[in-house]
Amino acid sequence: MATKGIDFAKLNLRDALDLAVLIEEEARDRYEELAEQLEVHHTPAAAVFFRKMVRVEEIHRSELEKRREQLFGKSPVMVSRAAIFDIEAPEYDVVRASMTPFEALEAAMKSEVKAHDFFAAVVPRVSDPEVKKLFEELRLEEVEHQQWLKVEMQKTPAVKDVPGDQSDGPNEQ
Amino acid sequence: MTTLSPNVFKSELKPIWCPGCGDYGVVQALYRALSAIGRPPHEVAFISGIGCSSRIPGYSTAYGFNTVHGRALPVAQGVKMANPDLLVLVAGGDGDGFSIGGGHVPHAIRRNMDLTYLVMDNQVYGLTKGQLSPTSPRGLETVTSVYGSFEQPINPLLTVLSAGAGFVAQGTPADMPGLATLVEEAIRYPGFAFINVQSPCVTYGEDDQQLRAHKTRMKSLDSVGHDPSNFMQALEKSTQYGTELYTGVFYRNPNPPKSYDVLVRERQETLKPAAVPRERMLDMFLQK
Ligand SMILES: Cc1ncc(C[n+]2csc(CCOP(=O)(O)OP(=O)(O)O)c2C)c(N)n1
Ligand code: SF4
Repeated sequence: MATKGIDFAKLNLRDALDLAVLIEEEARDRYEELAEQLEVHHTPAAAVFFRKMVRVEEIHRSELEKRREQLFGKSPVMVSRAAIFDIEAPEYDVVRASMTPFEALEAAMKSEVKAHDFFAAVVPRVSDPEVKKLFEELRLEEVEHQQWLKVEMQKTPAVKDVPGDQSDGPNEQ
Repeated sequence: MTTLSPNVFKSELKPIWCPGCGDYGVVQALYRALSAIGRPPHEVAFISGIGCSSRIPGYSTAYGFNTVHGRALPVAQGVKMANPDLLVLVAGGDGDGFSIGGGHVPHAIRRNMDLTYLVMDNQVYGLTKGQLSPTSPRGLETVTSVYGSFEQPINPLLTVLSAGAGFVAQGTPADMPGLATLVEEAIRYPGFAFINVQSPCVTYGEDDQQLRAHKTRMKSLDSVGHDPSNFMQALEKSTQYGTELYTGVFYRNPNPPKSYDVLVRERQETLKPAAVPRERMLDMFLQK
């Protein structure tokens, strides 16, 4: 989880909203990538859950984007994807061939915790009161997402894959 | 210059690497680096050998050639000579580059064409299911070293530095933005540039070589006050390959010599006035 070149003390509301949009976009794209990896490697149930997360993150992203447009129109975006890495996006190494839906939920939970911790850590560094309010709101949303995932986990059999049991390696060439 | 989104470089082909393989982060870093460079896909040629990592050109919209095991560098040099305007990237595994293809490395370096060579170093042969590779640590147990390897691993960083590479760096997909910056810097270096990418194999690699371990072990060369223009310092730091996971630029020649492709062009220009016109070329062989 990292940011590069963002001075939180000087961050204004427009850039903060754009940053939040990018964080959701990164998470959406990563879930999509991970779902593809699992689909290719015959792990459909976990992939279905990651596809669901793609839709969830896209909803969050578009809501934030709408808000940004209402406040600031279509003025140019000054923050770039290169400024963030793995804020809410699950890390590349959370997936395994034959991982279970429960493990997929655990991976998503870790990501929500990570995002929560990110907002909790940056709020004290922000000076603009509106940005502070926005990040605090986003931090609380992450708590809600964790609650939703907890409920999903209770409904899902707590089965874990045995590592190395069904390793699905690459095709030989 | 128009900016290109990283997604412009992403092809329709879906990667078939094992879920969690380090190479997924490497390809993302490449998309980012190419987008920062700003040259469109049709101006980029991506050449590889054979191996899991060598599949990488297929996942990019640039021109690609998944060649023969160990032969990425010769083919890439041919491509660069045929069309010096292309931005040529070369990629492969540590097996592809340092065992079967090992003989090409010093010669490609001393020839010094303007190429960027990425080795995805996972310390095993991934594609063929986990045999020993030239960078496997001593003692590693694999299907071809059941009781542990007796062999001393190759140190890729020291190997390329001692052959005279002008740009030598190391990165890991555990720091994908950092890796993207290194690839960008390597592309901008006007000569042969080498990046050792510590790209974990989740299926056959060791636990202490996985992304999670990288995140705690990696140490940026900047943070230890390394001066990348100091060749002796670069040599000293590179000897710690296998014990320290340094990331960043080990060496960047502060006065890069002209690359081979530039020298060839210059020579062509100087010889042009004295060159026999094409229509009289056969005369040289005909007795009149
Ligand atoms: C001439 C030849 N010899 C051997 C092989 C079998 N082979 C394919 S890939 C490979 C090694 C792969 O290891 P590496 O280059 O490190 O790449 P990785 O799969 O780990 O990314 C070997 C020995 C081959 N395809 N061609
Ligand atoms: S075998 Fe290893 S290197 Fe090959 S795709 Fe799987 S994880 Fe990656």
